[in-house]
Amino acid sequence: MNKTTDSWEILHIPDKPPTPPDQQPTVNVFASVIEPKLTNTLVRRLNQIAPLEALRHVKRVQKKYLEGGKTQLSVILCLACENDNQLDSMPHGVQELVNFYQLSPFITKVCKFDALSKEEWEEQCKLWPTSYHPPTYNIDGITGFGQEDSQSVFSFMKFAVELAKSDHGLVVNAAVIVDPSVKQVIASACDESCCWNTPTNKTSIRPCSLKQPEACISHPDSNIVVTHDSLLPNGSTTKLEQLCTGVSCLYPWQWSEKQPHTPNSCYWHPLRHAALVAIESSAARDRQLFSGLGDFEDKSSELDHMQSSFTSSPAKRQKINLNNVEDDEKLDTLTEGHHCISARPYLCTGYDIYLVWEPCTMCAMALVHQRIRRIFYAFPNLNAGALGSVYRLQGEKSLNHRFAVFRVLLPEEVLDVKL
Amino acid sequence: MASPGEECSPDTFAFMELAIQQAKLALDSLEVPVGCVIVEDGKVIASGRNQTTETRNATRHAEMEAIDVLLEGWQRNGLSKLEVAKKISKCYLYVTCEPCIMCAAALSILGIKEVFYGCANDKFGGCGSILSLNLGRSEPCESGAVPQGKGFKCNGGIMASEAVSLLRTFYEQGNPNAPKPHRPLAHQATR
Repeated sequence: MNKTTDSWEILHIPDKPPTPPDQQPTVNVFASVIEPKLTNTLVRRLNQIAPLEALRHVKRVQKKYLEGGKTQLSVILCLACENDNQLDSMPHGVQELVNFYQLSPFITKVCKFDALSKEEWEEQCKLWPTSYHPPTYNIDGITGFGQEDSQSVFSFMKFAVELAKSDHGLVVNAAVIVDPSVKQVIASACDESCCWNTPTNKTSIRPCSLKQPEACISHPDSNIVVTHDSLLPNGSTTKLEQLCTGVSCLYPWQWSEKQPHTPNSCYWHPLRHAALVAIESSAARDRQLFSGLGDFEDKSSELDHMQSSFTSSPAKRQKINLNNVEDDEKLDTLTEGHHCISARPYLCTGYDIYLVWEPCTMCAMALVHQRIRRIFYAFPNLNAGALGSVYRLQGEKSLNHRFAVFRVLLPEEVLDVKL
Repeated sequence: MASPGEECSPDTFAFMELAIQQAKLALDSLEVPVGCVIVEDGKVIASGRNQTTETRNATRHAEMEAIDVLLEGWQRNGLSKLEVAKKISKCYLYVTCEPCIMCAAALSILGIKEVFYGCANDKFGGCGSILSLNLGRSEPCESGAVPQGKGFKCNGGIMASEAVSLLRTFYEQGNPNAPKPHRPLAHQATR
């Protein structure tokens, strides 16, 4: 097997578009050289009247080493307008300080965003000193995935790709929500915007929903797929994209032009993209596991309730197949062990989602709402992707939930799609 | 974009009043009080309210609920995709709070005609506050990609104070669904 096309890789999609270290965005500020003995007084006063909220990474004071061993201190007074070089646009309070201490304000540039790498930081400090905090969040595999974590990521992504392939032989998007702490699939779904077979029973968990990719989990090395006759000669993304008009997130606005493959026999819904269906499915699972119970209930009564609901209302649960029952038994065992389900998770807190295609704006925001921790996708969505391609929601600071986004590069064999 | 208080007809207020009624229903069910109605030819054809707590599904916003009601009904009546698309393009949405990024994207995908909303949504508004998905095709983005999609007309600030006061009532009584209570619940559950 050719090793070069066989490599998996995880790429972090950062909060802001990548820029060369020497071309980082800047903002203008008013600064002034000050007497060293005034530093404390001025900084304290300035932090009160002109705090630099959006520039927490920027140091207020710059120390320059001059010839002859002398040092010179400068302080940032306040933000300046980008186009306006007029010194009279300073806030009144700052102007008073300038007058009182007879400062000589000038306009200079500082970097707008905190540095993400040492290289960026070194460039930033050439303009004005900033602070740099190297990423420390790699414990849970936010970056720097360990061997085991990587294998797990690849396995779940492969599971998602397989799901996308199997649906009517068409390439659709697929979504798999995973609890990484126990390497368990919480929910999975494919696009249902063209064909949705269960319109009346919204709460039902689809048969595949709780299926575990057993082989993938127990045999981490099995992510090498045996290839059959590939219909994608180059396995190129562009080629794949051309064949993927059924992927809801790629062509969200074209729903009315798509004809259902089986007219009249099923419902369709332009918004039932894979991610939304998977969220719905995980919510349904949540309701079933914790039905009618508060967050702090005794776990044995919870399980009793779960069991009884399985036997007492079979009609309501006709969608549950053997897989689910097995899975619930697994959960049961888990509960008796160290891991308990009595702590009801808040939505999808701590969960990851695997998507074949970068989600559109609607889906990406839905994942924010549902508190997904990490998003992995295989292919960028240049038409409508909201996690780096068209928009970059992970960089929207106003959102109340932060999440990390990764692209997973797949070996060509995994893409072997039968169309 | 939001253009508060601009030539609002009495109908506009009447429909927004109905949306507020929906929001009150949400409040009664301990849900974040946001409600909406969808109007076609001067008639309310669907309504919805936030249902995120009960469903454990944070995407069940008022707009999504109302849209589901519409699509299911129209399909039951045998309408084709093209007929549905045509009907939606004549519909107006009245919602008590600016549609979030997800809902605004959904409304763009569906191709709704016009949106009237109450208060702005500073945290995740998709009609001008954070993103402006209502503008449809606009400037190329960072990647050089041009955002596609249909825009829709947006009118904000309609009966905003009523919408805000409902939200305030909700957050003052404490959001029982928040991950860890930011504010103490007014009626602490007895354990």
